[in-house]
Amino acid sequence: MNGLWLVARREIVTRGRTKGFVVGLVLSAVLVGALAVLPRLFSGPDSFTVGVVNSPALQSALAGAAGNAGDAEVTAKPFADEAAARKAVLDGDVDAAVVGDRRTLADGEVDGELGALLESAHQTAQTQKQLAEAGLDPAKVSAAMRVTPLEQVSVGTDTRYEGVRTGIAFLLVMVLFFLLLQPSMYVAMGVVEEKGSRIVEILLTSIRPWQLLGGKILGLGVLALANLVVLIVAGLGAAAATGFSADLPPGMTGIVLGTLFWFLLGYAFFATMAAALSSLVSRQEEVSSVISPLTLLIMATYFVSYFAAVEPGSPVARILSIIPPFSTMVMPVRTAGGGVPLWEIGLAAALMAAATAGMLVLGARIYERAVLRTGARIKLSEVVR
Amino acid sequence: MIEIDDLHKRYGDKTALDGVSFSVKPGEMFGFVGANGAGKTTTMRILMGVLTADSGQVRRDGRALTFDDRRRFGYMPEERGLYQKMKVAEQVHYFGQLNGLSPKEAAKATGDLLERLALTERAGDEVGALSLGNQQRVQLAVALVHDPEVLVLDEPFSGLDPIAVDALAEVLAERRAAGVPVLFSSHQLDLVERLCDSVGIISAGRMVASDTVEALRAREGRRLLKVVVRGAAPDWPTGLSGNITKNGDEVLFADANGSDQEILRAATAAGAVEHFGWERPTLTEIFREAVA
Repeated sequence: MNGLWLVARREIVTRGRTKGFVVGLVLSAVLVGALAVLPRLFSGPDSFTVGVVNSPALQSALAGAAGNAGDAEVTAKPFADEAAARKAVLDGDVDAAVVGDRRTLADGEVDGELGALLESAHQTAQTQKQLAEAGLDPAKVSAAMRVTPLEQVSVGTDTRYEGVRTGIAFLLVMVLFFLLLQPSMYVAMGVVEEKGSRIVEILLTSIRPWQLLGGKILGLGVLALANLVVLIVAGLGAAAATGFSADLPPGMTGIVLGTLFWFLLGYAFFATMAAALSSLVSRQEEVSSVISPLTLLIMATYFVSYFAAVEPGSPVARILSIIPPFSTMVMPVRTAGGGVPLWEIGLAAALMAAATAGMLVLGARIYERAVLRTGARIKLSEVVR
Repeated sequence: MIEIDDLHKRYGDKTALDGVSFSVKPGEMFGFVGANGAGKTTTMRILMGVLTADSGQVRRDGRALTFDDRRRFGYMPEERGLYQKMKVAEQVHYFGQLNGLSPKEAAKATGDLLERLALTERAGDEVGALSLGNQQRVQLAVALVHDPEVLVLDEPFSGLDPIAVDALAEVLAERRAAGVPVLFSSHQLDLVERLCDSVGIISAGRMVASDTVEALRAREGRRLLKVVVRGAAPDWPTGLSGNITKNGDEVLFADANGSDQEILRAATAAGAVEHFGWERPTLTEIFREAVA
């Protein structure tokens, strides 16, 4: 066991302090942080300016409504007459104008959200005015009209956070793709480095092949996991810093933990495959061609999970989210989309765990048989029997 | 005592080893010589367990070698292997730990060895930045760091300058004195002759000779009598028995075992005898003879 830890520690120390790793870590964290706040920047204006002409009731109602959490902010801007207001609307100085508590002027159509806000303010203002005219105490009236808004509860698929969920799913697709492919490449390159330089001959007189292979996969996996945690912290941190986290759907903890779980299974699977394939060759130049089945598989997984991020509820996404190794990326993406039955997650996890165990056994066997046979590329059929 | 017993190895239809047997005693330095492709590296790789023999066995003190035995061996493979991007001291320390040393023990052994091999100044450099000769020294440090009980070195002297050769020879002699069996292969036969107690000669997968250097010399049948006579007529040896080769004043008599006294008398009669004696065959001559 000691050999395994020593190998893992060497991988962490030597790879972790390379410029490539550090730069990649920082850049990806910045990128994820930026992507996490991007929707916030593009989600349209949250404040409106409205011209008011001779509409005191509406103006005071707007002032009263200001500051309600979750609502857009509306600023009232008085104009002397309708002509001035009209000009301001056409010039784009105001988003709309209200004249005489009766008519709304807009360049084309009033923005949906603004229209609703104005209508509601208008209703409030007119109701209060008419009740006061009917002889009721204005204070009592406004107290009576303070109503708690309806709470939204979805009994079907919760679609309130659909946009945000899709955004999270896309981020996950990218991050998982990057963090499954890159460390697997490192594993492959490391295996060939040791095989090609014959250092493996010295290593394997000191430690067992499974210790060398396991230590390498473990060490590089720790780095990749650290990278993933940094990205999650960067994403959630950026969201919290910009106030975006209030818009995050419920169950983020589950999404994060699920992502870590699927990442670990997928990494073990792909990294072992990378090690087994790369142990067939002795030169770095041959690495990319010998591991092309692996890169193709990861690419395929990437594309199907991209599709699943767009259509999380489709039958294809449901099926692929259960089949290994596609499940490693499709399932966390679907989970981010919400509404995945527990039994599907359980089945997918069981199948993927079995596939990973199988890959570990097969990969270790291939590696053990091939890694000391330096020279020409070895055929897979020669080492799998 | 390391015993290599009747190793056979085939690659496809090519026979690499065809019944290789020899042994190395504790405190013995064994030189393993043979032409390229004769089977030296294959034998050493089987000895170290990185290659499996088709048949035959490698034993230590009568017991088949296990993985744990080999962990206490020091090994230098034919093609040098080091992590190019790892620092010298870190690398030696790492291999010390892999071979079971505690971090503290490994640090001490690393410091001592680097000092010994004149690498202390390069301890913090990446191996890839070192000259090939210095990389070779690091390779040796990696093989020696855990104070191995047996040394198996494939071509340890190749590519070293004369000073590095002396340093390495000294280190090996030290291990031999400590009772460690030392097996190394080399093409530098003069070096093997100078350093080794015993020599094994392998040719086309078979051991053609394996004995102490003295015994090999004694066994050599073709002995040469060398005679140098100053001021003699060039044809003085005419009529003497034996196979004669002349080179100036120097005359070599092959197959002269029975007629040496007669030759001596003829030489004294011919002029002033400056040299008269049996030539000891060099290892190179023994080797040529053995693999011919």
